[in-house]
Amino acid sequence: MSRPDFGQVLSFRQLVITLTLGWLTLMVIAPHALVIMTSFMTPDTEHLAVWPLSLESYSKVLQPIYFDVFFHSLWLSAVATLVCLLIGYPFAYILAKQPPWLRAVLLVLMMVPFWTNSLIRTYAIKLILGKKGLINSLLVSTGIIEQPITMLYTEFAVIVGLVYVLLPFMVLPLIASFEKLSADLSEASKDLGANAAQRFIHIVLPLTAPGIIAGCLIVFLPAMGMFYVADLLGGAKNLLLGNVIKNQFLVVRDWPFGSAFSITLIVMMAAMLWLYVLANRFVQRRGGLDDENL
Amino acid sequence: MMRIFKVLLVALVFVYLYAPIVVLVVNSFNKSKYGYKWSGFSWKWYEKLLANDTLLTAFTHSATIALLAATAAALIGTLMALAIYRYRFRFKRAASSALFVVMMSPDIVLAITFLVLFVALGMQLGFWTLLLAHITFCLPFVVITVYAQLKGFDTHLIEAAQDLGASEWHTFRTILLPLLLPSVLAGWLLSFTLSLDDVIISSFVTGPDYDVLPIRVFSMVKVGVSPEVNVLATLLLAISVISLIIFSLLVRRKVT
Amino acid sequence: MKNWIRLLATTVIMAPLAAMAGGKVVVYNWSEYIPEDTIERFTAETGIEVVYATYESNETMYSKLQLQKNAGYDVVVPSTYYVAKMAKEKMIQPLQKELLPNLKHLDSALLNKEYDPQNNYSIPYFWGSTGLGVNTSEMDISTIHSWKQLWEPQYKGQLLLMDDVREVFHVALVLNGHSPNTTNPDEIKQAYELLKKLMPNVLLFNSDAPREPYMAGDVNFGMIWNGEVMMAQEEDDAIQYVYPDEGAVFWVDSFAIPAGASNVKEAHAFINFMMQPEIAKSCVEYVGYATPNKTAIAMLDKELRDNPVIFPPQSVIEKGEFQSDVGEAIEIYNNYWQQLKVGQ
Repeated sequence: MSRPDFGQVLSFRQLVITLTLGWLTLMVIAPHALVIMTSFMTPDTEHLAVWPLSLESYSKVLQPIYFDVFFHSLWLSAVATLVCLLIGYPFAYILAKQPPWLRAVLLVLMMVPFWTNSLIRTYAIKLILGKKGLINSLLVSTGIIEQPITMLYTEFAVIVGLVYVLLPFMVLPLIASFEKLSADLSEASKDLGANAAQRFIHIVLPLTAPGIIAGCLIVFLPAMGMFYVADLLGGAKNLLLGNVIKNQFLVVRDWPFGSAFSITLIVMMAAMLWLYVLANRFVQRRGGLDDENL
Repeated sequence: MMRIFKVLLVALVFVYLYAPIVVLVVNSFNKSKYGYKWSGFSWKWYEKLLANDTLLTAFTHSATIALLAATAAALIGTLMALAIYRYRFRFKRAASSALFVVMMSPDIVLAITFLVLFVALGMQLGFWTLLLAHITFCLPFVVITVYAQLKGFDTHLIEAAQDLGASEWHTFRTILLPLLLPSVLAGWLLSFTLSLDDVIISSFVTGPDYDVLPIRVFSMVKVGVSPEVNVLATLLLAISVISLIIFSLLVRRKVT
Repeated sequence: MKNWIRLLATTVIMAPLAAMAGGKVVVYNWSEYIPEDTIERFTAETGIEVVYATYESNETMYSKLQLQKNAGYDVVVPSTYYVAKMAKEKMIQPLQKELLPNLKHLDSALLNKEYDPQNNYSIPYFWGSTGLGVNTSEMDISTIHSWKQLWEPQYKGQLLLMDDVREVFHVALVLNGHSPNTTNPDEIKQAYELLKKLMPNVLLFNSDAPREPYMAGDVNFGMIWNGEVMMAQEEDDAIQYVYPDEGAVFWVDSFAIPAGASNVKEAHAFINFMMQPEIAKSCVEYVGYATPNKTAIAMLDKELRDNPVIFPPQSVIEKGEFQSDVGEAIEIYNNYWQQLKVGQ
C-alpha cells in the first residue's frame, strides 16, 4: 500500500499548489485587480462602471470636500487609536506585572464582553450615552450637572464606540511585549542609577515599541472601516471612511469613485505596514547595540 | 499611592467594559419597552425573541455559514500552510503576500473587492457568495496558526516517513494531520468566531434569500431600542460564559 | 470521518435547495412598515412562505435591486418618484390586474397619478407626510408653526432631519418659493445654500425610526413622518406633530414587482392580501399612516378616522405638495446632499 508512487507524489503536490494559487488568484488577486481597474473607469448609473479609462475618480478624491472627509475620518480613527493606546499601555503594563493566575483571570474578564456580537456592543454604548442614558442619569441625579449633556450622535460617541470595540486588540500585543521585557533589565538599570523617567524613555519605551506599533495598526486599520459604529452613534453625519465607501457602492452607485477611495486606503495601509517593518528592524538593531553595551 | 492608582485604573477599564453590558442584561428583564426607567421584572422579551422566526432563521443561517466556512477554511488553510512550508514553487511569495493582504486589509476593502468580483462574474448574491467570501477572509488565520506549528516540527520525521516509502498524501494523512490537529482546531475556532461576528463583509455579499444574524441585528438596532436585542445579547453572553467555564473545567481535569 | 463529510456535503447542497421548496415570496419593505403579525397571517392563509427584508431609503432599495439584476426580491415598496424612475428603467414589471381583485377597495383619488398612469406598475400601500416633530414636555408647541423655525440659532446641534435627500430639499425649495419637484439646477443650488446654513443645527439624520431619538429624549424638535408620531404616542403622548404653514411634504409608497422576480404569482397574492380591508385596517392601526383603502377607512374607529395626524384635513393637503420624479436632476440633488452631510 505504501510503495513509493511517483505519480501520486506529483499529484498531491500539484493538487496542493494548484489549490493555493488557484484560490488566492480567484478570490484575492483577481478581485483586487478588478477594483483597481474599476477605479480608473467612468461611472455609469446603469452599468456601474464603463469605458473609457480616466483619472477622474482620483481627482475627485483630491477635491476639497472629499479630501476633508478623508482627513476627518482618518482623524477620528487616529484619535480612537491614541485613546486605546493611552488606556491600553498602562493597563497592559499593570496586567503583565501580575502573577500568572491573576493575569489570566483579568485577561479572560477583559475578553468576555467581546464574545457577544460587536454590533450589540456598539448598541450598548448607545444606551450609556443618551440624554436619558446611564451617564447622564448618574450625573444629573448626583447634582453634578443640571441639564443632561449631548453625547450621543457626536464625534465623541463615535470615538467612545471605536475604543470600546477595539481596546482588547491594543492590549493583547502590548502584554506580549511587556512579558518579553525582562524585569532584570530594569533592575540592572536601576542599579546603574537611572531614575524612573530615564528607565522608561531609554529602556521600556523602545523595547515595547513593536507592541505599540502592532497594537496601533490592529486598531487603526479596522477603525477606519467600521461603518456601523458611525451609523449607530454618529447620527449618519460623523462619517468614517467605511461609510463613504459603503455609500458610494450601495447608495450613490459611483463605483469608480468608491474604488478609488478603497485603493487610496490600501496604499495608505501598505505605507503604514512598511513603516512598521522599518521600525521593527530599527528596534531590533538598537536592541542588539544595547546588548553589546551591557 | 502608586498602588491605588493602579487598582483604580484597572477598575475603571473594567467599568468601561462592563457597564454597557450590564445595562443590556438588566434591560432584557425590564417590563418597559423603552428601558429608560425600570418598570418591573418580566420574561416577556425572552418569550418574544424565541417566537421571532426571522431572527431564528437568521441565526440558523449564520451558524450554517460559520460552520461550513470554518471547516472549509481549516481544510484549505492547512493544505496552503503545507504548500508554503514544504514545497518550492513559482509565485510562492505572491501567495504569501496575498494571504498577508487579506489578513491586514480593513474589512471594508475586502468587502468591496468581493462585491466587485461577484458582480463582474454575474453571480447572484446569497448563500454561495457569502460562503466563498467567509472562507477567504478566514483562510490567513488558519494558515498562520498551522504554519507556526509546522515550523516547530522535526523535519526528519517527515523525511523518515518518506524513506520508509510513504506517499505524500499518506504522510500528510497519517503523520502530519494528527500532529497538526491542535493548530487546525485553533484555526477552525478562530474562523468560526470571525465568521459569526462579521457584519461588514456579509452586508456587501449576501442577498435577500440569505439574511444572517449580524445583518438582522443591524437593522433591528438601527430602528432603535429593541428589547429583543437586549435578550439576544444576554443569551449570547450566557452561552460564551458557560462554554468558557466548561472549557476551563475540561482543561483543569486534563492537567491534574 | 466519512459520514461526517457526507453530512457536510448534504448540508451544503441542501441548504439553498431547501429554501426553494414550496411557494415563497421575498418582500423588501421599509423598516417598521408592517404590523408584526401580518406576515404570519398571510402565510397561514395562503401557505406561501415570506422572506422579509427591510431598507431605510429608496436609494438603498434601488441599488440593491440593481446589484441583483432586478431579481432576488419579489415585492418592493418604492416611493412615488421611484416608481416612475424604476418603470422607465424597466426595473419593475407591469402588474397583472386580474390577480388583484381587491383593487376595488382603493380610493380612486389616489390611483391613476402622473407617476404611474393607470397604475400599470404600482399599487399604493400607504400615503403620508413629513412635518415637524415636537416633544411637548420640553418645548412649547403653540409657538411651532413653520419650517423656518428649524433655522433658529437656539436649536444649535439639536435637530433631527430625515436621511432622505428629496424630503430635506423639499423644505428648502418651498421656503425659497420654488417647486419642491424642480429640475432647475439654479433653484437646487439655492436650496443647497439655504440648507448649508441649517447644518449647524442638525444633530442627526435618521430615516430608520425617527421617532426613537424623540422618545429617548435625544432630540426634541425636527422633521418626522406622521406615522412615526402615531407610533410614538402609544408610549409617550408628549411627542406631537405639526403641519408647517408652508405645507408638509406628501408622499405615496407603493407595492411593485421587480422585473426579474422569480415568484410573480406569489407577489401578486401578497399585494392582493395587503389590500384586504381587514389587513389594511390593521396596518393603519399599527403603522399610523393613511391607507388608500376606502373600505378599510370606513371600518376604522372614529377616533383614528378623524385624527388629523393620520388623515390631514383637505386644507392641509392642498397646501402641501406630493413628490414626483425629477429625472436626471436627481444626480444634482444627490451631489449636494453628499456635500451637506459631510460638510462638517
